[in-house]
Formats: sequence, structure tokens, C-alpha cells
Amino acid sequence: MTSHQHSSAVEHAPEPISPLDSPYRQSAETRAKITSVSDQISEIVLQPGLHMGWIAGFAISFMLVQMMFVSIAWLLIKGTGIWGVNIPIGWGFAIVNFVWWVGIGHAGTLISAILLLFRQTWRTSINRFAEAMTLFAVACAGIFPALHVGRPWYAYWLAPYPNAMAVWPQFRSPLLWDVFAISTYASVSLLFWYVGLIPDMAELRDRTKNRFVQIIFGIFSLGWRGSARHWKRYTDVYLLLAGVATPLVLSVHTIVSFDFAISQVPGWHTTIFPPYFVAGAIFSGFAMVLTIAIPLRSAYGLKAFLTDWHLDNMAKVMLASGLVVAYGYLLEHFVAFYSDHYAEKYMLINRMTGPYWWSYWMLMLCNIAIPQLLWSYRVRHNVYALFALSIVINIGMWLERFVIVVTSLHRDFVPSSWGMFYPTFWDWSLYIGTMGLFCMLLFIFIRVLPVITIFEMREQVHHEGDA
Amino acid sequence: MLDNTPSPFADNVSPAPAASSGCSGGSGASMAASATTRSTTPFPIRIADPDALVTLNTQTRARMPGTQWKSLEEYESDPEFLARVQKEFAPGAEWWIDQASRREFLKTMGASLALAGLTGCTIRQPVEKIIPYVQIPENMIPGKAQFYATAMPLPGGAIGLLAESHEGRPTKIEGNPDHPTSLGATCTFSQASVLGLYDPHRLQVVHHHNRPAVWSEFTGALEGRLTLAQKNQGAGFALLTEEIISPTLQRQLRAFLQANPQAKWYQYAAWESSNATQAARQVFGAPVTARYHLPNADIIFSVGADFLAEGPSHVRLVREFSARRIVNADATANMNRLYVAETTPSQTGAKADHWLRLKPDDVAAMLIAVAAELGLDVGGEARTAKVKEAHQNWITALAGDLKAARGKSVVIVGAHMPSEIHALAHLVNQELGNIGQTVTLVDPINVVPDQTPGTISDLTQAMEAGQVQSLVILGGDPAFTAPANLKFGEKLKSVPFTAYYALQVDSTAQLVQWRLPATHYLEDWSDARAEDGSVSIIQPLIRPLYDGRSVHELLAILSGQKDVTGFNLVQETWLPGFGNDAKKLWEKALHDGVIANSAFQPATPAVKGEAAAALKQAFAEAPAESKEFTVVFRTDPSLLDGRYATNGWLQELPQPLSKLTWGNAAWIGYSTAKDLGLKSGDHINIQRGDVTVSIPVWIQFGQPSQVITLQMGHGRTVEGFKTVGVDVYPLRSAANEWVTTAQVKPTGKRTVLVTTQPHHNMEGRHLVRSGTLKEFQDKPNKPGFMTVGLHHGGGDEHEGGEHGAAEHGTEGHGAEQGGHAHDAAHGHEAVASKRDVTPHHGHPAVIPEGENQNPHYPEGGPTFYEDWPRVGNQWGMTINLGACTGCNACVVACQSENNIPVVGPEQVIRGREMHWLRIDSYFEGDPDTPDVYHQPVSCMHCEHAPCEPVCPVGATTHSSEGINEMTYNRCIGTRYCSNNCPYKVRRFNFLALNDPVWQLPVLQMAQNPNVTVRSRGVMEKCNYCVQRISAVRIQSKMENREIRDGEIRTACQSACSAGAITFGNVDDPDSAVRKAKEHPLNYGLLTDLNTRPRTSYLAAVRNPNPALVSTAAEDHA
Repeated sequence: MTSHQHSSAVEHAPEPISPLDSPYRQSAETRAKITSVSDQISEIVLQPGLHMGWIAGFAISFMLVQMMFVSIAWLLIKGTGIWGVNIPIGWGFAIVNFVWWVGIGHAGTLISAILLLFRQTWRTSINRFAEAMTLFAVACAGIFPALHVGRPWYAYWLAPYPNAMAVWPQFRSPLLWDVFAISTYASVSLLFWYVGLIPDMAELRDRTKNRFVQIIFGIFSLGWRGSARHWKRYTDVYLLLAGVATPLVLSVHTIVSFDFAISQVPGWHTTIFPPYFVAGAIFSGFAMVLTIAIPLRSAYGLKAFLTDWHLDNMAKVMLASGLVVAYGYLLEHFVAFYSDHYAEKYMLINRMTGPYWWSYWMLMLCNIAIPQLLWSYRVRHNVYALFALSIVINIGMWLERFVIVVTSLHRDFVPSSWGMFYPTFWDWSLYIGTMGLFCMLLFIFIRVLPVITIFEMREQVHHEGDA
Repeated sequence: MLDNTPSPFADNVSPAPAASSGCSGGSGASMAASATTRSTTPFPIRIADPDALVTLNTQTRARMPGTQWKSLEEYESDPEFLARVQKEFAPGAEWWIDQASRREFLKTMGASLALAGLTGCTIRQPVEKIIPYVQIPENMIPGKAQFYATAMPLPGGAIGLLAESHEGRPTKIEGNPDHPTSLGATCTFSQASVLGLYDPHRLQVVHHHNRPAVWSEFTGALEGRLTLAQKNQGAGFALLTEEIISPTLQRQLRAFLQANPQAKWYQYAAWESSNATQAARQVFGAPVTARYHLPNADIIFSVGADFLAEGPSHVRLVREFSARRIVNADATANMNRLYVAETTPSQTGAKADHWLRLKPDDVAAMLIAVAAELGLDVGGEARTAKVKEAHQNWITALAGDLKAARGKSVVIVGAHMPSEIHALAHLVNQELGNIGQTVTLVDPINVVPDQTPGTISDLTQAMEAGQVQSLVILGGDPAFTAPANLKFGEKLKSVPFTAYYALQVDSTAQLVQWRLPATHYLEDWSDARAEDGSVSIIQPLIRPLYDGRSVHELLAILSGQKDVTGFNLVQETWLPGFGNDAKKLWEKALHDGVIANSAFQPATPAVKGEAAAALKQAFAEAPAESKEFTVVFRTDPSLLDGRYATNGWLQELPQPLSKLTWGNAAWIGYSTAKDLGLKSGDHINIQRGDVTVSIPVWIQFGQPSQVITLQMGHGRTVEGFKTVGVDVYPLRSAANEWVTTAQVKPTGKRTVLVTTQPHHNMEGRHLVRSGTLKEFQDKPNKPGFMTVGLHHGGGDEHEGGEHGAAEHGTEGHGAEQGGHAHDAAHGHEAVASKRDVTPHHGHPAVIPEGENQNPHYPEGGPTFYEDWPRVGNQWGMTINLGACTGCNACVVACQSENNIPVVGPEQVIRGREMHWLRIDSYFEGDPDTPDVYHQPVSCMHCEHAPCEPVCPVGATTHSSEGINEMTYNRCIGTRYCSNNCPYKVRRFNFLALNDPVWQLPVLQMAQNPNVTVRSRGVMEKCNYCVQRISAVRIQSKMENREIRDGEIRTACQSACSAGAITFGNVDDPDSAVRKAKEHPLNYGLLTDLNTRPRTSYLAAVRNPNPALVSTAAEDHA
């Protein structure tokens, strides 16, 4: 367990800063801060006791989780009618939130897998918690489709399992494809995350003095000893998993978008949906990574690992994916105009000027107008601005789903059946409850697992520190 | 087992009555079938001694304090129970309590159990014992429905019905094809009457001052009063009744009054207007009733008469009217032409070829002007100046049409119009030679020979003078409905002895000493005359559920007769006249539902010479101009005068035109609302004298300016029922029963109105297609209005369509309208321009002509998928929009047939009404004088159903006979199917709507055992009454034959008085439905989506007067 940074840190003259450089090389100050990668990261997990801040954060999210459980219980007692959904707006917050969470769940695997394949070394600082975030977001997302059905206790009928009725699910329905897409994505993401954790858990196993923690990490590190053969196999598996996960990043939201695109509801029935959903997912995923990373790195003093350049890079990805999303909006308008179909055209006019006009214009503001600030170097390097922007984009992406789901449904083909959707208390409580679940899982994760990949970071520091 | 396959139980179901409707195109073949299903002996046989049961119950109560009887008393007096009952909303619906606490929950539970207890003890359900009948009632096959002919008394005359009974439990009402008023169809009231029977708010036992009692206590008390009165020949004894159309009751009442010559009889009903009778006396010297006959009426002029929706004969008139609105496939037609001048936009107006909506005085003036044009010397120049200036062309054209159709025209006057207008109509009809042709005069059916009732004003005067010692009220809730200025309720309290015989504990019941439970018409023997005088014997379908007595038994008690049953009393009326064959004739009368040859012969009174002169004098004065608002009172289309207030089906029934449910609103016109700055739901104060009523407004397109229409009957208090709506009776006075004036002030308060259709603008979409007969005849293969607005229609057709639109009476001024429309389009409920004007709306793209992929779906586009195999019968439906009047009978029939729950106002506001069949109304044209279109919409049973592929569990599938079926058991409730349904006809059980809290146990008796009751979280929708199809299929297989065309009648179809719905096998080239589908006016809804609907529509065709087409714009001047 050697560390190289001690000897070399002070001797080198400051080198010119290049955005292409890895974080470690950006400034002497950064280098100086990285005392020992392993010490610093594992310290977060292995330190005894709990910070007040952690306790407070955990307590709040825990209470929100209780609210979630109450909301679920009431839903099961009373029925879907406690929500604001109706005919014609058969899907409401549940689907909006589902798609929103799934979108958020995109960034992690994208960062881990695709950036790994592209050898973007800056991903090292963020991939671990981004992956965790993915898993938690998918967990939150998974709650909604199961609960949104009228009889949740029969939701398992969506699965193609052999049964006495000899009835199979209907394979033409995109909802069924969803089941496969989400479950595959969740399991591959979990596997990917877990495999990445193995060397680090072994590290923690070796470092802790607590017998119980030793046993737990001992079990989960699967007898990792760090031999060359282990490392060889490990890297092979990790790369393979990255290869498997990469298409999933694209497929999941593509298939989620089919829920809409396959239907014939004006505003849903659009071929642009798959790429535009994927771009939107990356957009919102990176926004959520930023939302978490910025407070995290200041709370745990991880600015040395998670530098402003990381934030800068993520901001750039956001900007790029945001532009793709904007293109998607543009094309939606064009197609509606070009199709010359009365319902398509009315749908767009109604989005802009109908009763839900505010959601449309808020969406344009949050997802197109405000993110243009990211062109500015100063904005990208101002954590407060970035944090605010990430929140704005999170809201914007939620609104996007709201606009797609609600405003498309509320006025479709037959004007006599047009309606309005008013969310109820229970709509909100379940949504906010899942946010609580997400945060609670994150708090637990921060406390029990290394938030940054120790071995990869060390490897990087090793390579670059000596350069 | 899947829900959509008939259960073994359902296999035993008998065919629906299959009675031929007499509607055009229907085959008469099934008449015999209907006859065989009716039994002559009713199953429920009334026990000989009606007191025996009561006595038994009393004894039981005394002996066994722990039985449920005790719990009844206990709960009746327990304040918590009463509070809970008070909260109860209406049959089948309860305010859904969002913040239900645990305590609330327990209370609910407790009360449900209590109600279950009540049910157990008071409702004489068939005891469920698994033993076969020892003596099986005639024709009784368990599991097989039976049909009994009976009749429902309705205001103005009874309607003959066939009641469907399942093991002694009436569940559904069908029309009686042999009855002159029904002709096989029904109205909304009769359809909903099944629920009225099981209404949990019914008065169950006799009450003396809020305390449960028994009949013998009442008879004891009454005897004292009677003996007292008899000393003075009945002086001080008074009876207040509604109109009496039961010959037996007439006979009994006459006998009573003859025995007690000083006793007084008063009569009052809120819906009733004496104007017509008064006019008949004036013109003919006799109180004859005018009956209208439309089969030969070429020109119909309605003066404020909503004859297609109101009155005792409206079911028959709709049939006769609609039969003359059918256009043949070769564009030949024998269409009538309807002119309507009225105040409140009505269903009749919506069907008009020329429709004027004017202030009440101007409506009257229109008839005077037309009469003058026809050469009648009635004067009235001062009155007609205004309408002549505005509508001279209309008047000339109408008068011309009337003259040309001498003897084949008819002028119909609304019941609430002033008597001189009724009189004038008689003169006009006489002048045109219509009397004896399209108008016949018959003796009134509601007369008690030798007796004349006093009015309610007389009664209140007598009460005030202290002349009334004992008062027995037979129904009608006069404390609620009586003209407010009479203060009937207050005066009622001063009468020493009061008894009220009614179905519910209402305002009147609260004020009297004795509350006497009435029987429902399905519970007891009676008889009733239809509007033409024909008599139906009302035979009961079930023993009285509660401790009610029939009205005949009550009269018998009054007359001192003991131990007489209603059955005997009714027989006493009729058997003597039947002569030797009495038993046979009686049975025949029961079987047919009508006593042969009992209709009145038309009277032929001569017109009095001085009638015209008298009118001239009456019309000489110009009506007083008032700056105040004109207030028009109308009976409610669902609640009538309030008597159906607790009927959940009717409360939740969207009113024609406004689509309001659960409550009323003051109708005001679009321009008036704009002037006052009001939106729908804003409250106004209507002030008349010292009475002020605060009521939300409803902006009704087509309502004339400065006129407010109020629907009566809402806001009625019934014990146990949470009052809905605003009571407008306080504004009504004896002098101004139908029209008055009042001041109107916005209050700034708002309420959410409960409507099922917030948007009445077609948005330029081609959903309802309509045109004129001339357009159709000009281009019989492809009339312009069938393609107007479509991409590939071509310039020529476009023009045709535009032209056609302009031709229809009220669409005259396009440009001006466009402006209006744009204004309106930004409001939520907007009336936009006529189709095509709104620039941002495109046109439905359809497949180019000639690309007919499939002969069954002329409008179907290309597809990747193979057609479904067409094995066996292929069910399909057509709905003729030209015939449909939007009367709603089909909606209630569907609800009754298919166990559709009532959801209550909160859920309707949320957009969760459950009706499988809805009637959309669209308004087009100027917001103040729009055209109105009705379109019944239910599942279209698409060949390419968008709902089917998106269901992840395959719960909605295509049957081999082409029905899109729901497998309720398999449905998990993703609601994807509903989202993907472009017609939005799928309904979702958002809550456990069939749980006992919603559907009280007694209401479950109303349910059709052959239709699954859906659980929460399950999607449901129209299935073409698959249970009826199965029943007929089974029957045909047993008889080893094919299913005959017209043998299956869906619930909506059999209820439809217009005969607008045709159902059958579309693959049978001779079937009526196939013929309708081959009609050039046949079109599918949203076929540009390639859904290939099995239900299609026939475009509405109107028949405007060519002379008025070019000057249509003047209609609005």
C-alpha cells in the first residue's frame, strides 16, 4: 500500500493548467491536499460515530420515507382514486415520476460504462456515487409502475411466469417491454456497481479494526486478495460489464419512450422520442450527479478528488445533451406542423396556450433557456451557479414528463372528453416520499461504502503523480 | 374463468324481451317471443291480510327485544346513526371522504352494519334456501329472467312497461311495444325507477312525530278524526293529492267525497299547468286535452313546447317525429320540417330545422304573428311589432309552409305557455284543418267524475281560516314545491291532524304528525291511464319491501273499509265491466299491459264563435316592458319537480345540453354572462320581492340574453340524503308559476359545477356530420357535408360543405362568427366558429377516395396486420344522429343493465363518471344562437382497437364476433388502454365503487345478476350487452336456428324512443345494420386513425326551408 504523492508533490514547479489534464495535475494545491487517497476516502466510512449533519439529513429523509409508506398504505387501502388521475388523464404523477427517476438513473451507468470505454479518466472521481445514484433512482422509479396499476397485488402478472391459467403477458405492449428493460438495467447496474466495489471493500476490510465490519466487508469482497490474477480477471470482467451496460443505457429510455411513442395519443406518437428521451435522461442524470456532488464534496472535503474541472466537464455534458433535448422539442413542433394533422397541431397549440401553458413555458425556460448559461466559463466554475442550474434542470426535466404525460392526455381527439388533472396531496406525498427514499439510501451509502473508487483513484494518482 | 365468457349461470339466462320496437326497419318477428316471456300471473302474490305481517312484526318486536327490530329502533333514535344517515348522499353515492380518520372509518363500518341489519329485518328478500320449489310458480326457471307487463304513472299519463324480474327481484325496465305511449321504448324516469324501488332513503314504517309506529296506530287515530268529521258530512276533512290518473283511485275518491260531501279535495303538482285546460274551456267549452300525431305532420311549429322531451306523450312523439327524419339510402325522404320558437334551448329546439330563441313574450308573439299571416283576425299588432321586424322572413316562410301543408301540419304549444296562446294554437290548428288530423282532442284522463278539486291556494286559504281540521296529503312534497307566497309549510303546522303518504321523509313529512310509507309502483297493485286514455293494470313485481300500503288501501282506510287489498280494489274497478269473460280479459290485460279498447275516443267539440274575438281583446295590450331579468322556470329533465332527487342514476345523469349533474345552475346566455362578467360557477343573487336566491350560473349557449332559466326540483331535503343543488321554488309564486322577473346581482362567490363535459366546442373536427336534405339529394353518392373539412374532399366538395353549413338555419354570418369564436375559444367552454373557420385547426386526413381496402370498413386505411377472421355473427351498430334527440334514456338503460355504479359529485368533478354510454353535445355557430348536436358515444368496438395491443396482460381482446371484450379478472388497471383510446369511452374503477359503503346493500338488489360487478382498479366499458347476445345465442341454439336479425336488442337500443340505434350482424347482407352501414350517410368516428370502428354513425340531415336559407342571417338579427 504505497503512496507516491508525499515525495513528489512539492518538488515540481507548477505546470500550465489544461482542461484536458486529469484533476490531479491541475494545481499544486490540489496535489498537496491529496495526502493519502486510501486514508482520505476510507476515513469517511471507517471513522467512528456519526456527524450531526449526517444524522439530520438522514432523519429528514427517513421521515419522508415514512410518509412514502403511509402514502402507499393509503393507496392500497383506498385505490388509485386517491390520486388526481381520471379519464382522460389515466396516467398522472406516477408515470411522470417514474420516467423522471429512470432518467436520473441514466447518468451513473453512462459515466461508468461509456466513459470507461472512452477512457475518460475524469470519470473516476464520480463514477461510484453516480452508479449508486443510478441504483437508488431506479429503485425509486420501480415503485411507481407497480403502484400505479389499479390492482398492484396483481402487478406480477406482467412477468412471463408459468402459471396454472396458462396465460402469458401480452408481448405487444410497451409496458411489458418496460418490465424487461428496467429489470435488466437494474440488475446489470447493480452488478456493475458491485463488481467495481470489490477491491475497495477488500481495502476497507483490511483497514478496519472493527471485527463486525471486517466480517461484513470480508463476505462482500468475495475473498479479494489483490493478486495479479485477481486484477487481470477483475479488469476483464469490468470491461465486459461496461460493454454490456453501454447498450442498456441507450435501450432503457428508448423503451420507456415507447410507452408513449407506440401509442396514438397526439403528443406521444412521435418517432423522435427514443433519442430525445435518452438525451433527456443524460441531461437529467448529470444534473442530479451535480446536485449530489456539489454538497458532497464540500461536506466531506473531497474537493481534491472532485475538482472544479470535474464539475466543468459534467456541465459540458449537460449543455450538449440539453441541446439535443432542445432539438427534440424543435422537431416535435416541426413534425406537428409538417404532419398537418389536426390533433397534432392542436396538441402543440394547446401546450403553449391551453390551461397548462405555464408548464410548457417553464419547461422551455428550465431546459432550454437557462442551461445556455453553461456556455460561460464563469458559470461552469461557480459551484453555486452550477448547483442552482442542476436544480433548475431537474425541475425542467420533471416538467418535461409532466407536459408529455398530462397535457397530451388532457385534450386528445374528442373534445367532449377533455379534462383537467389536479394532483392531490397523495400525489405529492408519494413523490416527495420517494425523494426521501433516494436521499436516505444515499446517506446510508455515503456512510457505509466509499463514495469514490479508492483503487482507481490511487491508480490515477500513481500514474499522474509521477509524471 | 374469464369474465367475458358467459358463466354457467349466465347460460340459463332467458332472452331479453326481444320485443319488436315498432321502429322502422325492425322486424315484427319477435313479437311472439316477447309474448311468451311475459307471464300472466305475477310471481309475488300479496298475502290476503295485509295487517298480518305488520302484526307479526309487532309481536316479534315485543317478544324478542334482541332481534333486529330492536336494532332498528335503536338506530333510528341513535343520534350518531342519524348523523351518519344524514351524511348519506344518495343511492349509490356518498361524498367520498378524503380525510377519513380512523374514527370516521369505524363509524362508517358501524353504520354499514346497522344498515345491513335494517336490510335484514325489513326487506323481504327471498330467503336463500337451497331447496327446489315445491310448487314452482308459473314459467319460473331459476336463473331465467321473467318479464311482466306493468305501467309507471308519470305526470300527465302512465307509460307501459315490461319489468324484468330475476327470482322475484325487478332489475330492469323495458318498454312495452303494445302500449300506446311506450311503443317499446322508455323514458329516463321509467328506466331509473328500478333504483327508486330500492332507494335506501325510502320511508320504511309509519311514523308518528318522528317515532316509528304501525299502521293500526294510525288507523286508530284516523278513525277518531273521521268520526268527528262524519258528524258534519266530512266538514273539516281535506285531502291534497297530485293529479289522479288511476281509475281505481278516481273511483275511490269519488265514493269518499260522495260519502262525505263536506270534505274537500285539493290538487296540486308543481309541474302541472292549468293553462291548456283553461284554453280548451275557452275555445271548445270543454276541458279537452290536445293530443298530437306526427306521422302525417309535414310541418311542425313548436311554440315553446319541448314536446320531444317533456310531457306524457314524449316517448311516442319522439318515435313519430324521428320516423319522419329518416332519409333513405337513395336520398328519398318524407321528412317533416320543424320550426321552433322557444326561450330556453331545449332538446326539441336542438332538432329544429329553424330555431329561434326568444324571450317568452316574443315566443308568444311569434305565434300571434304567424296566425295573423295565416289570416286569422286576432290583432296583437302591438305585441308582434318586435318579432315582425326581426323575423319577418321566418314568419312568412313558416306561414307559407303551414298553409301549403293544410291538414298535415301542427302547431304545438308548451304546457307552461299562457292560456291565450294555447287558445290561439287551437284556432290556428282549426284554421289549418289540423284538428282531427294531426291534433285530436280527448277527454282529460285525470278527472274524478262530478268532483272538482280546489287549488293549493284554496287549501292554504282554508287552512288559514281554520276550516281544515284534518288533512291527508298524498305525495307531492307540497311544503317544498308549493308556490312560495302561499307559505304552505307554515300553515300546515296549524292543522290539528295531518298525515302525509309518501315514499320519503321530505320537507312535508317533517311537518306532519303521521308519515305513512307509500308503496312503489313496482310493489303494489294499481292502474293508470296513459295520455290517450288507455288503461294499464299496474301489477307488482315484488312484495312491498317495507311497511308501505298502496294508495288504494289508504283510501279504503279513509272510507272505513277494512281488510281490503289493492288487488281487490283494482279488480273491483274492472272486473264488472269485463262481463262474462272477466277472468280471461283480466289476464289478457295483465299480459298485454293495456286493457283493450280502453283509449278515449277523440272528442269533436266545436270551436266557440267568440273565441277569436276574446283573443283579439287579450292581445290588444302590449306586454309590459321590464328592465329586470326574465326568469323562466322549468322542471328538471332528470329530477322533474324534485321527486327523483334521491335517485343516484338521475342525479348523475348529465342534463341534455349542459351536461350538468348533481345540482342545478341558473342558465344565462353567453352575451349576458359577458356583460355581467360571469363565468360558469359564479354565484348570482336572484332577487324577487323579498326573496333572494343565491345560485351559481351556467353559461348556456343559445340562452337568450336577459333571460334566466331555473330548473326546479333541486335542493330538496330528504331525510338521510345530503341535499344537492339550489332550491328555486322560493322564487315561484302562484300568480307567476312559469315566468317572472327578478333582479340579478353577481355575488363574487364561486362553486365548482359538476359537469361531465366541460368542453362543447368541436374544435373544427369532423365528429358530428350534418347537412341538409337538399345537399344530400343534390349529390346522393357523396354529399359535401360528409367530406367537408377533409383533405381529399376536393374543392367542389368543400364548397358544397360550406354552402351546406350556411344553409342550415342559424349559420348565417361566417365572418362575424369567426370573431366571436376566437374570443370564445380562449374561455374554457367555448363555442368556436363553424367548422373550418378556426385557422389553427387542421383537418382530419383520410384515405383518398377509392382506396377501399375492406368492404366492411369503407373508411379503413391500409394496415400491416391481417384482418381478424370473420367467423359467425359479426356484431355492429349504427347510430342515426338525425334521429337522436339526446334524451338520455339510453344512458340510464345502460347503467341499469350493466350494473354501472354511481360515483357521486366529487368523483364526477374529478372526471370519473362511469357511464359506458355518454351523449356528447356540441355547439356550433354563434355562441348566442348556436346549432346543437348530440352524439351518443360508447365503445366503438374497433376492428383495429388501439386499446388491445397496449394492454400488457391481454385483458382487452377482440372476440371472434368482433366485440372488443374486457376480461375484468385479468385487468390489473394500467389504464394504458384508456389513454390510447381516441374515443375515451373506457371507464376505470378508481375506487371501490361497488363496496357496501358506496352501494348500500339494498341497492345491490337492483343489480343484473348476469353482469359482473367490477372491482376496484379494473377498467370497464361497453360490450354491446354481451350478456344479451349470449342469451339470444343460447336460445337460438336450443331452437336449432340462426339468430334472427333484430332479435338481439342492446339496452340502449331498446330504450331508444327515436329508434336511432340499430344493432346486428354486419356480415348479413339483409340485416338492418348492414343496410344502415351501406347508407351514403354512414361514417365512422375518427376513421383517419384507421381504428375501423364497428359502431358507426349516420349523419344528421335537416330539412330547412329553401326560402329561409338565403336569409338565414336574419335569424340572428
